[in-house]
Parts: sequence; C-alpha cells; structure tokens
Amino acid sequence: MPGTYRIQTTNKMRKKSLLYSITLYLLLLLTGSAIHAQNPATINSVLEGTVLDEVTNEPLDGANVIIEGVTNQTTTNSKGQFILRTGQKFPYNIIITFVGYEKKIVLATGSPVSVRLKPINNNLDDVVVVGYGTQRKTDVTGAVSSLSQSAIRQPLSSFDQALKGASTGVQVTQTSGQPGGGVSIRIRGGSSIQGGNEPLYVIDGFPVYNSSNSPGIASGAVVNPLAGINPADIDRIDILKDAAATAIYGSRGANGVVIITTKKGSPRKSAISYDGSYGQQSVQKKIDVLNAKQFAVLRNEVLYDTKPSGGKYQYLSEAEIAALGEGTNWQQEAFRNALVQSHQVSIAGGSSNTQYFISGSYNKQEGIIKNTDFTRIAVRANINARPVNRLTVSTNITASKADANIAPSGIIGSLLIMPPTATIYEPDGSYTLRNPFENIFANPIATLNETLNKSATIRFLGTGYAEYEIIKGLKAKVLLGTDISNDKEKYYVPSIIYEGAGTNGQASLGNSTTYSWLNENTFSWSKEFGKSALTALAGFTQQESANERFTAGAQQFVTDDLTYNNLESGSVLLRPTSGTYDWVLHSYLSRITYNYNSLYYLTASIRRDGSSRFGKNNKWGNFPSVSAAWNISKENFFTPLRDKVSDLKLRASFGTTGNLEIGQYQSLATLYSLNYLFGGNIISGFAPQRIANDNLGWEKTYQYNAGLDLGLLRNRLAISIEAYYKKTTDLLLNVEIPWTTGYATSLQNFGSVANKGIELGLKSKNLAGLFAWNSDLNISFNRNKVLAIGNNAQSYISGNYIIQVGKPLGTFYGTATDGILQQGKEAEKGKYTGNATPKAGDRLYKDINGDGSFTTAADRAIIGNAQPDFIFGFTNNFSWKGFDLSVFLQGVYGNQIINSNRQSLEMFTGQQNASVTALERWTPENPSTTIPRAKLDPAPVFSDRFVEDGSFIRVKDITLSYALPVSLLDRAKISAVSIYVTAQNLHTFTKYTGFDPEITSGSNVSPGTDSGIYPLAKSIIAGLRVTF
Amino acid sequence: MKRIYLFTLIIMVLQAGCSKLDEVPESFLVTEQFYRNESEAVAAVTAIYRKLYESGQSLYNSLFQIGVEMATDDYEAGPRARNAHVRAISGLTHDASNDRMQELWRQSYSAISAANVAIDKIAEIDAANINETVRARLINEAKFLRALNYFNLVRWFGGVPIVLHETSSLSAEALYVEKATEEDVYQQIIKDLNSAGQLPNWKSYGAADIGRATSGAAKSLLAKVYLTKKDWANAVLKSKEVIDNEGYDLFPQFSDVFAVAKKNGIEHIFSAQFQGNSGYQGNSLASRSAPADIPGINGDYADALHWEGNLYQSFAANDARLPVTFVTQMVSPADGKLYVLSKPQFHKYYDEKVVGSPGQSSKNLPIIRYAEVLLIYAEALNEQNGGPNSEAYQAIDKIRNRAKITRLQDVAPALSQSQFRDSVFQERRKELVFEYQRWFDLVRRGADYYVATLKAAGKTQAAPRHIHFPTPQRELDLNPKLKQHPDWINY
Repeated sequence: MPGTYRIQTTNKMRKKSLLYSITLYLLLLLTGSAIHAQNPATINSVLEGTVLDEVTNEPLDGANVIIEGVTNQTTTNSKGQFILRTGQKFPYNIIITFVGYEKKIVLATGSPVSVRLKPINNNLDDVVVVGYGTQRKTDVTGAVSSLSQSAIRQPLSSFDQALKGASTGVQVTQTSGQPGGGVSIRIRGGSSIQGGNEPLYVIDGFPVYNSSNSPGIASGAVVNPLAGINPADIDRIDILKDAAATAIYGSRGANGVVIITTKKGSPRKSAISYDGSYGQQSVQKKIDVLNAKQFAVLRNEVLYDTKPSGGKYQYLSEAEIAALGEGTNWQQEAFRNALVQSHQVSIAGGSSNTQYFISGSYNKQEGIIKNTDFTRIAVRANINARPVNRLTVSTNITASKADANIAPSGIIGSLLIMPPTATIYEPDGSYTLRNPFENIFANPIATLNETLNKSATIRFLGTGYAEYEIIKGLKAKVLLGTDISNDKEKYYVPSIIYEGAGTNGQASLGNSTTYSWLNENTFSWSKEFGKSALTALAGFTQQESANERFTAGAQQFVTDDLTYNNLESGSVLLRPTSGTYDWVLHSYLSRITYNYNSLYYLTASIRRDGSSRFGKNNKWGNFPSVSAAWNISKENFFTPLRDKVSDLKLRASFGTTGNLEIGQYQSLATLYSLNYLFGGNIISGFAPQRIANDNLGWEKTYQYNAGLDLGLLRNRLAISIEAYYKKTTDLLLNVEIPWTTGYATSLQNFGSVANKGIELGLKSKNLAGLFAWNSDLNISFNRNKVLAIGNNAQSYISGNYIIQVGKPLGTFYGTATDGILQQGKEAEKGKYTGNATPKAGDRLYKDINGDGSFTTAADRAIIGNAQPDFIFGFTNNFSWKGFDLSVFLQGVYGNQIINSNRQSLEMFTGQQNASVTALERWTPENPSTTIPRAKLDPAPVFSDRFVEDGSFIRVKDITLSYALPVSLLDRAKISAVSIYVTAQNLHTFTKYTGFDPEITSGSNVSPGTDSGIYPLAKSIIAGLRVTF
Repeated sequence: MKRIYLFTLIIMVLQAGCSKLDEVPESFLVTEQFYRNESEAVAAVTAIYRKLYESGQSLYNSLFQIGVEMATDDYEAGPRARNAHVRAISGLTHDASNDRMQELWRQSYSAISAANVAIDKIAEIDAANINETVRARLINEAKFLRALNYFNLVRWFGGVPIVLHETSSLSAEALYVEKATEEDVYQQIIKDLNSAGQLPNWKSYGAADIGRATSGAAKSLLAKVYLTKKDWANAVLKSKEVIDNEGYDLFPQFSDVFAVAKKNGIEHIFSAQFQGNSGYQGNSLASRSAPADIPGINGDYADALHWEGNLYQSFAANDARLPVTFVTQMVSPADGKLYVLSKPQFHKYYDEKVVGSPGQSSKNLPIIRYAEVLLIYAEALNEQNGGPNSEAYQAIDKIRNRAKITRLQDVAPALSQSQFRDSVFQERRKELVFEYQRWFDLVRRGADYYVATLKAAGKTQAAPRHIHFPTPQRELDLNPKLKQHPDWINY
C-alpha cells in the first residue's frame, strides 16, 4: 500500500490529534469499529527528491521522508524517488530515515533535493538492547553489558557457553562436559537458596527460564534446553544486570536477564553464506590411578590386615603379581579423540520493505567418552516487512531437533575406581559383569557400549509482532510468541551387562511436552521538546506454560534386540507415570525515560506481575526502579579536558525485582499418591503433602548500582566500573517446621541473602593502523552472605555444606585432618581416629568440639567455600592485513572445590582402585604423616583433605583467521572468504588435581562438588566462512 | 487501517480470555477436593498403611533395625553400615542429633498425621457417599495405625506430643505442641485400640482386603500395651481374648512363618506387606543382612549379628528356628562354589527367588504374630499370679514344641517367678529374632537390666539413659514448647 498520506495541522491540533488517536485506539478496542479521519488539505509546496546510498550511490527503496514538525511523510520508490505535497512553505527541514542507515536532516529550500544516507556500521558500541526496546549506549542509565562478536562467534554447542568470561558480573560454570550439556550461570552471585538462580533469557522477545523439562528417564546429565538454539544464528547478546535494567522483567528479573537477538536481513542484495568447521576434541587430562601390580600389592595388604591368619598373599602370590602387566587402563578404554563438526548455510538480504535472514544448520559433536554425542539440526527464518506505511511486521522463527547419547550417571567414578586387574571381557568374549571385589558397580565399558541412553528434543520457538505508528512518535505493538518443545528420552539396559542381568533387560520411555505462549501489547511514545527528550512505554503482557509428561517401562525381555521399541514384550511392566502442570503470568509494565540535552538522564520503570504460582493472598507484586545518569563529559565546563577524557558518565540506580522460580502448586495443600499391598495387589492411596500457604509470595531483590563510564584518549581506552549491593529478602525457603505436624517443611517467604560487588571492564585499542591490537579485560568481585534463614535458625547443614548466617552460600562443612596415628600412640591418640579399634596408620582428626574424642557428626567446622574471590576474562585481538588473531583467557580465583572423586580414590580398600597417592600410604616401614594405611573398611569421612583450591587460568580460546583479499575474490563472484583455526581449552593453569576445576553441581546449596562430572574437552577446530 | 485495529483488537480480546491466575493442578489432588466419598476414604487409609515404610530406610523396612535394634546385645552395624550415625547407635554413642533416631520420630508423626487426616475427614463424608459400616471400619483402621505409631513413640521417647487432628495452619498454636505425659499417651493408645477392637475378624475380610488391621490385631496390640504398662490383669485378659476368640494358631513348621507362599496365614496377626520385582517394594532387611562378598549375591551386609551377645550360641543345635533365622554358608549362584561365612548372618527374609537382588524379597515383616500373643499371655500370667501356672507353661511350650526343642514343663517344671520371667524373655529373644522386638524387651525390664545386659555383651558405653532415645535436637530447636527427656538433658 504505497502512497502518500497527508494531515495538515497546527501545533494545538497536533496535541489534540495525539489525544484523539489514543482515545480512538481505546475506543476501537471496545467497539471493534474503526473510524478514520483525514482533513482535506491545502497544498503550498511540492517537494520531489531522491535518496541514495552514500557509498554505492545506489537508490534506496523504502526510505522514510518526513517534514520536521508535522506528520506529513512518505517513502521512496524502487528508484529512490519521493514526492511530498504539503501545506508547508519552503524552506523546511526534511528528515530521512532508513533501516541500516544514519538518520539525516536536510533543509529543503526548493525542489528537487538529493539526499545521500550513510550506512550504519554494525557497531555494538552504538546500541544496546534493553527490555522491550533498544537504547543508544550513551543513553543507558543501568548496568548493561553486550558480548563482543568474537565471544559470540566461538564454535560452541550452545550460546550460553559464550557468556563464559565474556562479561563482567557473569559467572558461568559447566555442569557437565557432556556434548550438549548444561552450564550454570550466576549474574552478580546467587541470590536464592531454594528458588532458581539462573537468569531469564529473552530470545527475540520470548522470555525463557532455562529449566529442563526432562521426563526423567535418561540417566546422567540432562541436555541443556538452550542447546536447541543454533548459536550461529545469534547476532547479539546483551546482559542486564542491575535493577534499573531488569525491573521491567519484574518477578523474573532478580537473577539478571540475558537478551538474545538473532540475525536479521538488511536491505542490501542477497548474500549466501556458508560457515563450516571441523575439529577434534580430546580429554584435557587423566587421573593417575594404580596399575595392576600396584593394585595387587595393595589388595594383598588389605586382606592381610583384615585376616592376618590368611597370610600375606591372600589375593595374588608374588609370582602372580610379577607376571601382571599394567592391567586394564579403564580411562584409556573410555576416552577417545572425538570429532566435532558444524555446517551452516544462510541467506540474508531484502529490499527496503522486506528483509529476511534464513538459515539451516547441522552440528554434530561426539563426546570424548565413547558412545556419547550431540546432534542438532536447526532452521531459522527471520523476516521483517513493512506491508503498509507506518506498519512493521516481523517474525523470528526457529525449529530444531537435538539428539543426544548421554553418558550414564556415575560412569566417571566407575572408570576411576574399577580395579586394573579386572578385565573388560571374560576369556569367552562376554563382558566381565562387574568389579570382582565389590558388588556395587558394574563394568563401565560394558555400560558405555551397551546401554542405550538417549534424549531427543524438538523445539519450535517463534515470535511475531505487528507495530503500528498511530501518530508520529506513538507506536502500538502486539507481539505473539510460542515456544513448543517435546523432550523424549529412551533408555535400555540389555540383559548381557550387569545392570540388566537381574532384570533381564530393562526398557523405559518418557515424553514431556511443554507448550508456552506469550502475548505482549505495548504502546511506546517518544518525543523531543527542545533540548529534552522523553520516551514512554506501557503495556500488558501475559504468558502461559503447560507441560504434560508420561513414562512407561518394562523388564524381563526375551531378547535384547527390540530394546525400548517393544515395551509390551517385557513380562514385568514398570508402573507408568504421568503428570501435568501449568503456570500463568500476567503483567502490566511501564517505563519513562527523560534526558535533557544528553547531559542528564532519568529513567523510571515499574512492572506489576501476577503469577499463578503464589498463594491466593499474594498473587500480585510491584517491581519499580529508578535510575539516573550524568554525562559529565558533555558539560561545557568539561570542554578543556576533552582531549584527554573523551567520555565521562556517572550512573546510579535502585530498584526491586523478584524471583518466582519455585515450581508449581507450592502454595496449595496438595496430595500425593502412596500405594500399599492388600490381598497381594497394589492399591493406591493419597495423603497430604504439605500445609497450604495462602501467603506465599515473591522473593524480592533490592539492588543498588552505581556506575562510571570513562573514555580516555579519544576513547582508545574505555573503562567501565560498576559497584552494586543486592539484597534478597522473603527468600522462598522450605522453612523447617516441627515433625509433629506430620510435615518436615513448609515453603515460606523467609530469610535473606546479600551480594555486593565491584565490576571492572576495560577496553583498550593498544595499536591502531595496519597492525591493530585491542584488549578487553573484565574482572568481577562478588561477595555473598546469608543474612537470615528463618525461624531464628543460625545454620543448617545439608550434606557437606552448611548454610549459616553471616557466611556465603556454598560453604563447606566437614572434619579437619590432623595427621596419621603412629605406632605407640594408639592409646593416647586413637580416640581421634573415629574408629572403634584404632590402629597405627589410621587418619587422625581434630577434636573440634573439644570433648576429648572425635566423631564425624560432632567435630565438623567450616573448611572451605565455593565462592570465588574474583573471576575474569581477558581477550586480546591482533589484526594485520587479512589476519586476525584472538586470544581469550578466562579465570577464577579464590574458590574451593570438594573433590569427591579423590575422596573415593583415597580409600585404600583393595576393593576398588585407588589414586597413586596410595603408593605413599602409611606402612610400618613408611610411617607417612599424611596418607593413611590400607584398610578394608574405612569410614568415608569428608575432611579438608578433599577440599582443593579451585583457582585457574584457562586459555579458553585462540582463534587465528585469515580473510582472503577482495581482489582475489571479485573474479569468482565471491564477496568474502575467511578461514580460521580455533583451539579451545588448550591449557588450564591450576593446582586442582581433578579432571577440571571448572565444575559445579549446579544447586545453590551445594555448588562446587566434583563428583565425577563429565570432563570438559579441549579441541582444535578448523573452519571456513564463504559469502557469495 | 481499519483492518489493523481489528486485528489488534481480536488478538487482545482472544488472548486476554485465555489464561487465569488461579492454580488448578490437574495431576495433583488438593485437600479441599478430596475425602468426598467411600473410595477416597479408602485411599486415605491406604496411605497410612504405606507409612509403615514410606520410602528408603523407613520404619518397618529396616529403620527399626538401624535406628533401634542396633542398640541391643543381639545386633550391630555390619561391615557395610558405614554411616557414622548408624555406627553411633550400635556403639551407644548417639546423641540428640542422631539422624536415624530423628527419622523414627519424623516418620511416626508423618503416619500419625495421615491417620489424623483420615479420621477427621472420613467422619465428615456425606452419608449418601459412604456405607456406614465401611466408614466405621476405615476410621478404626486409622485408629489402629495411629495407636501403633504412638505406642512405638512412647516406648522410644517417653512422653511425646499428642496430635490428634490435621495440622492445617502455620500458626504458632498449630505448629508447637508440648509433650504429654507417658500415661496420657498410653491412655490415648488404649482408647484408639479399644475402638479398633471393633474391626472385623481377619476371617471376615475378603481376599482383596487381606493385610488390613483386624480386631485380632487391635486386641493383640492392646495386650502388648498392657504388658508394657505392667497392667498384668488386662494383659492376661486381652491376650486370652485373642487366644480364645480370634481363630489364630501357630503354623506347624517354624519355616512357614517366613515362607512367601504362607503369607498372611493363620499365625500372622498383622504384618508389613512386601512384594519384590513387581514395581512395588521388597523387604530390604533381606538385602541388608545378606552377604556382600559372595559372587552373585548382591547383599549389603549392613545388619550383623553381635557375636558377643551370645544369641546364636544360646540356640540348641536342633532348634528348628536356627536354620530359618541364620545362614552360615552359601553356594554362590555365580560360580557354584560353597562359601563359609565368617559368622552367621540373619536369614529370615532372604528370598530364594531373587538371589541376585535380595532387596526384592517378597517376605512380609511380622509386626505381631500369634506366637508373641502366647508369650505375652505366659509372661502376664506369671506376673499376675506371682509365678507360672500350667497355662503359662502351656503357652510357652507351644512355642518350644514347634521349635522342636524340649518343653519347659519337662526340663524345668517348678520355676520361680523370676526364673520363668527369664525363660519367657529368652524365648521371645530366640523366637522373634530380627522382628524388631529386642530393644523393647530389654528396656521393658528397666535401666539396670538393659545396661547390665549390654555391658555383658561388650557394649561398654551402655548407660541408664539409653532406655529412652533423646528427643530429636531438631524438634527442640523448632518447637519452643518441647523439652528434652530429663535423662538426656546433659548429653
């Protein structure tokens, strides 16, 4: 619907017209009838002109031409021409705007005019994406960071991994190195104890909380739901950190917000690109364990200790031991060099009225452990169009299929402790079923080779919107989105391995479908009054999510051939399960920004959220924020300094955000099913699960932020400093209540946690010119502290952790070792071993409560913490001609790790393999003071021995790329070719003795335990990017 | 333009009507929507039964062994019971923060809570929706189970809080309840059991209801309550009532008591029901006592015989109970070799059908069986009459006959009261091995007896306070009205 559109008005009338239009719109909503008013007009001038690209001189089709101060506007045709008939008399200003070009204001003194527009460099520094809109970077009043292109471009299986070390205030740790495995992200520290702590992701406008909807059938780490999004489709990632930025997301803003914007087409000619890579991954390191000979000696020693009458060679004789070789190296058998590849084809382009970006991609990553992998196929179509004047429509749609073969849980631990004298196969070629000495674990290679443990996820995520400019500056936008995902898991343990031998094959299937929809209706308005600029946003949004799941399974199969594909042929059926949940969020939101002369900025926002998850007396919450900024460097008095200090801005904000990640139905007195046997039949019953809490509400986070942006030497050095204090109250805690009520806990709003910190970002252009060198350093300090935990409790212990008022979350609680009991000291010091019959060589522990003896339960103290002192990322980019080298270091300092693997490897039981420290164990001949004796049945005491320094510096990513010169490419009609080589996780400097120091168990109560997590791989990848 | 407005309007109107903030869970039931009819009443009572052993280490599925019986002369923490709390109970070094003892408290009150809900709610069901006979029966079943749990609690902890109604609010009055006296707790138990005595006789239940509480169960338990209270007259009366009127008898063979095929037979008055490998629950005591180092038998060996207590040694070699109760050697199903165990291991619940996964044992756990009623009768008669009469001898000799050992009447026909008392206790000890009775029997005889017995068995830490368990520290911390048991205040 091209054409011109005229209204002649006076100033007074314009005001009336604005009011009129709003009223009209509202009226329309009520009546459904549309009335349209246009005044007949007097023509005082006719202006003709053309709009061209400043660089190419090509005509621009669809540029917007508007007469300043009035609403009269038009667009250019395919030849770049426009014509304006207006009641205005020459001279007047015309404003020309076009997507992808800088706005231009031209004084028209007569017809015709020719206007050249300058293309905008896609520069991250110019704009940031904030909630429900974008802002110029210079206008931002909150704490917002944007990821660099080099961070986004790393070849990774999911985009959340790109956040690692890439921004201040964001700590990313891998929960599993499994291909497609998840990460845990804390923006400015964890603020919840039992609620969720992950940030909110907003993917092309669709808010997603990254919680798994796994049906719970597959064993081992669940596949990261975000791995369904192809990282190569992502154009930019912005991170909202303080309340000024996140309060617009209200009850979901407390953990920060990560905004993902995918690539869009531009009104240039179509470009087809191919981006492919191929690489190899390997395990970073292996753990040194005993070989067969060493193990046999250890086992003999243990058996002799247990039963001296049996002699010193109860396991193997000296001759047999001498004949042993290295034995089975279980890690060697399980780890492999694994391939990783990705291929993506995209086409992007468009005209002034329609732009598109369409891509298809294939990624396959084999795991470094046998029989594990991740495959994703994804397609995307992003289309923007302007079907009629003033109306913009847009869709961003992706569909993906992600399949994974998952490492069964516990496999890493088994690989480490399986005795080296055990074999993978029996002489007849069948699998050795299990550890011959201890019956609790199976042959891990048989498990890896034969267990089917799969997940398959299909996800469709799409948003679409229509935005209409009602009058100049006032836009109405309706956005609809949906996120549909289907997670299926398949599991089969065949009868030929240990786990399946008892059940004669066990098959399980599970399916979980989640459907969410979103509707957002917003008005936005912007207006400049002289030197003042005002914008306003108001809207209503609603989101609903529903999940349905079921599982089924069977045992006792005649054959392993049918695996999980024929459950009915199992003669014992497992109880099927099913479930469903639904949640709804209704929100009203509003934001006003004001700036005076780009000097003084003020922003205020408020969101009112109503959530189904909370008690009936507490469904609604308000989340306000205010922020201000002062751009000192724009002040007149600053002019003399501008040579040295090119940019200086101060920011401050305060606001309230919430956290609603508590799951569903927690406020209701729900029942749960329990069954019992009557007459030999299983009969179902129901009992109450909890006491209803009608007052259950939000976790509220109050956050103060102060920031300073400083640009020195014409912005060659840009420094950004943030300081914040974040206090979360009304923690959603399962507050303990007396058991006499019949229940153990009740979910209440109780307790408080604080995080405070300083973040420093530094961007420096060290060298410019032919050889360019840029550095980017970010470093973040966060201090976490529990302020209160309900019912006047001072602490509670959860396994190896304690949550204690005044201490940070993730505090380790255990015993303290105190050397080794030596011969002759049994009577004096034996009571500090915790053993009923102490013996020289036993480990001694400190008597912390001073009662004269040691007991594991009573003699514990704080022995470490998983919170780092600081985290950092440091990137250096070097470029010379077509070459570009980027070196990315990432590190964590000052945290500790509970090395559970080591605890199990330092139990010298002779029943399972042990770490090589066993070679230095206490013996009468070697009275060690640090390593205890071998012993069949040591108590597994968690002590400071297994708490290790988790600090590390990692060479995270080194990428060398070369862009072929354009002169070479022209003839082949290729516009760009670059080749690159990337090394990931090349080396890690650390004292940590486990596989990898970057490890977490994910939960906020017990982070930092390494209990056999799939190790991160190092990889070398080579790739090619071609654009036609 | 009109189309655009219309489009917007339609979307907004359509969507606004689609979602609501009220939570109506579809895969959960909410209390307000339940307890409306007979089948829901039945479900409410079924849940209380399951709380005999809800999940994991639970009351009648090994917690009793770990949390109670370890503290006797007959049992100890086996080589694979590595948990410090369990070892503490076995060595009598436990304190108020012992987690297994806390679990005893928690799980018992959880069962009581389920019973309270059922008793309250079933009474309120509209008469049109439930048969009155069924209503009365279900309420009495709930009362039986409530009494059973209070009976355990009062014996473990002494006086405990009495809660008789559902806790449905988080107010202080609802959350904090003070301890009642032991006597008040016993009066409540007696009241519930008298009511539960109205339950149907075991023979009048249909096949589908086998396993439910019966009049015989309520009366037998009441006899045991009176016995524990040393109310000998009532103990005699109630046990006699069971013997005369309820139609129970001993199985001819002791092995029948623990035969899967004879479950819920003539001797079984009330048992915790188990069934392995059926998507249900096996008896985990079987696995906890099975050997860990014989190939193909994947036992845990966490519950072991305390050799120094001389339980095994006290059996006559020809006692028919010996091979059912203990195992001394086993043939490996994996390599066919014979393995001799370093000491006898408990074998009552070992199910030959599930050798590779002994935790799937389908053997029931007797909570009260007829043999015990006979022994209650014998003991109460002896106490009531100042010495054993012939009926007392007959009762104990029925047990000894079945065990194929000499009759007491024959070997010691003229025992004094205290000698006969010792004989009954010794018979209980041998008859009821691994049936969660030993600790109760020891503490019933007082602190001196308990301490002396344990010290003689080498458990030198035993002290008078150990005839009660400490009130869990957690409960003291959370409930300002709760006080520690006086014996435990300084420990």
